[in-house]
Amino acid sequence: MSQPTPPKMSARNVNVYYGEKQAIQNVSIDVDTDNVTAFIGPSGCGKSTFLRTLNRMNDTVASARVEGEITLDGENIYSSGMDVVQLRARVGMVFQKPNPFPKSIYDNIAYGPRIHGLASAKADLDVIVESSLRRAGLWDEVKDRLKDSGTALSGGQQQRLCIGRAIAVEPEVILMDEPCSALDPIATAKIEELIHELRGRYAIVIVTHNMQQAARVSQRTAFFHLGTLVEYGSTSEIFTNPREDRTKDYITGRYG
Amino acid sequence: MNAPVSPDALRRQPTDWKGDAMRKRIASRYASERRFRRIGLAAILMSAGFLAYLMISMLSGGLGGFTRTEIAVRVDFPKAPIVIDPASLRGEGAEAVLSSVNWQALTDQAATSALGKDGAWIAPGAWLVVRDAVKADPAILQKSVTLHLPASAELDVAAKSEGQPAAEAAYARLEKAGLTSRAINWDFLTSSDGTDPTQVGIWGAFKGSLLTMAVTLLLSFPVGVLAALYLEEYAPRNRWTDMIEVSINNLAAVPSIIFGLLGLAVFLNVLHLPRSAALVGGLTLALMTMPVIVIAGRNAIKAVPPSIRDAALGIGASPIQVVFHHVLPLALPGIMTGTIIGMARALGETAPLLMIGMRAFIASPPGGITDPATVLPVQIFLWSDEVSKGFVEKTSAAIIVLLLFLLSMNSIAIYLRNKFERRW
Ligand SMILES: Nc1ncnc2c1ncn2[C@@H]1O[C@H](COP(=O)(O)OP(=O)(O)OP(=O)(O)O)[C@@H](O)[C@H]1O
Ligand SMILES: [Mg+2]
Repeated sequence: MSQPTPPKMSARNVNVYYGEKQAIQNVSIDVDTDNVTAFIGPSGCGKSTFLRTLNRMNDTVASARVEGEITLDGENIYSSGMDVVQLRARVGMVFQKPNPFPKSIYDNIAYGPRIHGLASAKADLDVIVESSLRRAGLWDEVKDRLKDSGTALSGGQQQRLCIGRAIAVEPEVILMDEPCSALDPIATAKIEELIHELRGRYAIVIVTHNMQQAARVSQRTAFFHLGTLVEYGSTSEIFTNPREDRTKDYITGRYG
Repeated sequence: MNAPVSPDALRRQPTDWKGDAMRKRIASRYASERRFRRIGLAAILMSAGFLAYLMISMLSGGLGGFTRTEIAVRVDFPKAPIVIDPASLRGEGAEAVLSSVNWQALTDQAATSALGKDGAWIAPGAWLVVRDAVKADPAILQKSVTLHLPASAELDVAAKSEGQPAAEAAYARLEKAGLTSRAINWDFLTSSDGTDPTQVGIWGAFKGSLLTMAVTLLLSFPVGVLAALYLEEYAPRNRWTDMIEVSINNLAAVPSIIFGLLGLAVFLNVLHLPRSAALVGGLTLALMTMPVIVIAGRNAIKAVPPSIRDAALGIGASPIQVVFHHVLPLALPGIMTGTIIGMARALGETAPLLMIGMRAFIASPPGGITDPATVLPVQIFLWSDEVSKGFVEKTSAAIIVLLLFLLSMNSIAIYLRNKFERRW
């Protein structure tokens, strides 16, 4: 690796509680733009919970409480001066279940740029829509039916539409929570390809249950277990030479 | 994990899918399905039967209210006791000239000379027809013309159904002479309440209903929707919001007459708003409609999938943008359904409006929301109370108008709802 860049996002001693129950214990992690980071771990270990603290989506859960410090470019995102709306534009999210708006394909992509005022003229918006759909690998399939509803697409197309929607606002970080769990191998391959292309431009964090996928798309991997971060390191090292027994057991499929 | 189960308990007999017991079970399953379908069909037939009965009895009794019996009367203007220069009726000052004439006397005299003592059977308001005929064509003042004058209420009843013996006899005579006819009573659609059934009309009450509903809708829809949005999207879940929720649910069940008393106490006695006006009626009915819209609205908002909210928040929409760009459009069809139900109820409401004085006798249509007015259901109630037999038909006819109003209001709402309906 070349010149070490300061991390895009970093978390220090983060605890997350749902009411009385602690879901994340003392997690510290750095995420940078040069690498795709994968979160792996057994179901219920808190991957989604932690991911959602990174763009404060947990604010929508009344019982959730976050302790510790999470910074974006050195600025604490949980400080009172942080504008949550802008934060979520800078830290985009792709959800496990494709959730396009029940609007046209065009409007799905154009919605973000519109509300953030990124395009002043219709022509600018057209450019944003086309480039976002191209980068999401969906343009050729939908270019003739941009007026059709986004919900009329197939599951895989919907998920790529959601990725296109996320990158249309030019975020700095993209969080993906099991983006391929509902997709077939072809659609999955397309999205993985897309992640490769986006790497370096955005800091990408992807939650996945698929070990091969983690190995294919990520350069760094974090293994979570029971709300703690067990091991975090380069993907090749985690998969070939894990330091912890728990990591090894999980990766080799002895539990999960 | 669980306690170990003995292997014997795990070994089950294979299911006998072809046995007698199984066949019987299947047969009884189908039987119960058939039974259920028949009961459902019977329920539908029964409600359809009631509806058909209502429609038929309403139409057969009420359609007559839209027509009137007319008697052909020859009016010989040159011989009549009036002197008007036809030229003076063209241009300025025509109204003044027209109103200077005693049309009533002229008409009575013409009827008597044409029909003898049967001339008494023309309606008290028949002179209006004569005046309008002259107004439309002043040239007839130099001629003798045949005008179709409306018959009195008694003769009208005798013509359409069973009347008093004297009226029946007179009608038989006039009919034999070929002087009677039936025509659409346009006055019924254009005039207001009156004392003579041949002269009453529905327009005043119709316009009153229209104004009242406008006030109700303009107030209850935005307030109801905003309240629902606030309660669902912003209000914290605590004892206070629970209490508000219970109160709103109870408010929706409060008998309407109580709202009338509330309107009387607050809008009239405290705020001193004009009595009998569409404004106060609309305010009172809005109080009644609001809880219905709030409840329907909250359910519709709750039904919007959370994933849509997440999606919008996830690309940096502010909470208010989430609500107005995504939640509200998706909830709108459901909100409109609630609004239709609430407004339909408000349109048919009588009791609370009686409390705030909308039962007054009002012979001219309201010019605005602060003018004294009445509404269709109250008009129906008032006419159904009249002794004169001519009002029976008018009552049914007014009911038809009310039902048509309701039907068109709902059709518009359903059209709008379907327009906004989106799938996800
Ligand atoms: N809204 C919530 N309220 C209360 N507890 C929650 C909530 N969301 C998650 N939890 C709990 O927090 C823990 C972590 O959940 P989380 O969804 O983060 O797991 P995960 O690692 O994403 O699992 P999976 O791989 O199955 O998606 C679980 O024990 C879960 O029950
Ligand atoms: Mg998860």
